[in-house]
Amino acid sequence: MIHKNWWKYLGVVILLYVLTVGMLVPLKPGISDIDPSSVRTGETVTFKVWGYNSKFAQAQQPTRAWLKLDDERALSAERVVVKSDTMLEVEFRIPPYLPVSQKVQDFSLILDNDVDGPSVLPSAVFITQDSVDAARGEQVWVNNPVQDLSNVSGMTFPFRNILGETIRNTYFHVALWLAMFTIFIAGVFQSVQYLRLRTPSRDHWAVSYTTIGVLLGILGVVTGAIWAKNTWGAFWSWDVKQNTTAIALLIYLAFFVLRASFEDPEQKARVSAVYNIFAFAALVPLIYVIPRLTDSLHPGAGGNITFGSQDLDNTMRMVFYPAVIGWTLIGVWMATLLYRVKRIQEKLWDVY
Amino acid sequence: MKKYIFALTTLQLLFTISAAAQGTGGSDFLRSIGKIYVVVAVIVAVFLGIVVFLIYLDRRLTKLEDQIKDQNE
Repeated sequence: MIHKNWWKYLGVVILLYVLTVGMLVPLKPGISDIDPSSVRTGETVTFKVWGYNSKFAQAQQPTRAWLKLDDERALSAERVVVKSDTMLEVEFRIPPYLPVSQKVQDFSLILDNDVDGPSVLPSAVFITQDSVDAARGEQVWVNNPVQDLSNVSGMTFPFRNILGETIRNTYFHVALWLAMFTIFIAGVFQSVQYLRLRTPSRDHWAVSYTTIGVLLGILGVVTGAIWAKNTWGAFWSWDVKQNTTAIALLIYLAFFVLRASFEDPEQKARVSAVYNIFAFAALVPLIYVIPRLTDSLHPGAGGNITFGSQDLDNTMRMVFYPAVIGWTLIGVWMATLLYRVKRIQEKLWDVY
Repeated sequence: MKKYIFALTTLQLLFTISAAAQGTGGSDFLRSIGKIYVVVAVIVAVFLGIVVFLIYLDRRLTKLEDQIKDQNE
């Protein structure tokens, strides 16, 4: 029994690993909020800064802070007062001029200490200047480069500001889509085999795989909508990738409508096998090509690389790749169950 | 009939849970503690998807069992 079904148990074990490690590894310390978030030049401002997963009070060396425009232009803090592990006050003396020729400029906040390591809040503070003089601004902003950042090791997932803990959804939402794609490949392979060999079992396999692919696709849309509601602000933002995946799923749903409209089993199998190949041919550009050509809320669009080091670091890869394999194995398992039901059904028809 | 009762109970349960969530601050509940409950909601959604598959499979098998029973009679 076990030697035949080892891959099903493997899938379950892998997903258990994904659930435990994926949920238990903490996020890297980050900055969750800053107040005030907009100031004027020439002021001395004390900012309240809130950390996430941070241990400000346990740092051995004093915490350092910068307001940073780019690698060269950064202003270091006059004073950092640690109030608690997750809250500190930073005092900046904002120079009268900014190193840019526009009136308002956003700066990132960088914090660094020996326990948490460096953390950054992008576009943390907007500074308004009364009169523009970039040359004089350069003199006061250039002399404090961000350097000698501490190097903290440990197993953590990256902290992203809007994402927060939801970065863990990568193992459920994104991995589910890749599993769906693998299942659809298996389905289209069986359809091609049906057209070559004309054995009914190939048709049963193709339908079983495609059914599970559609189920995983619908789950991908639902999980994506829940994630989007709490990060992008709406369940459905009419984002290009949301739209194209919805179209792709509708094309696949039409596969079942088409099957239901044929009486003759052989005709049904033949037409649906051809349709499945066309549906797959539409799926690839709809999911992987079109969203990359235009701007999208999804990572990987507008010229970005989907799994750059920014979005998926090595610690996440240790969970993400097993997650893809685990969901694929579970999907194949579900497809085999459907196939076996179909086979029994066929046998019953023949016998009686 | 049993199916409808089951479906109604599930819906009732979902409403109770979401009402409890409302009590703790409405939509802010999902966004508390670094939005960890969004991950929980996503996992629950995937679980419900697997449950839907189980119900579908159950119905298919029931049909087959009925077929076999009819033939044996």
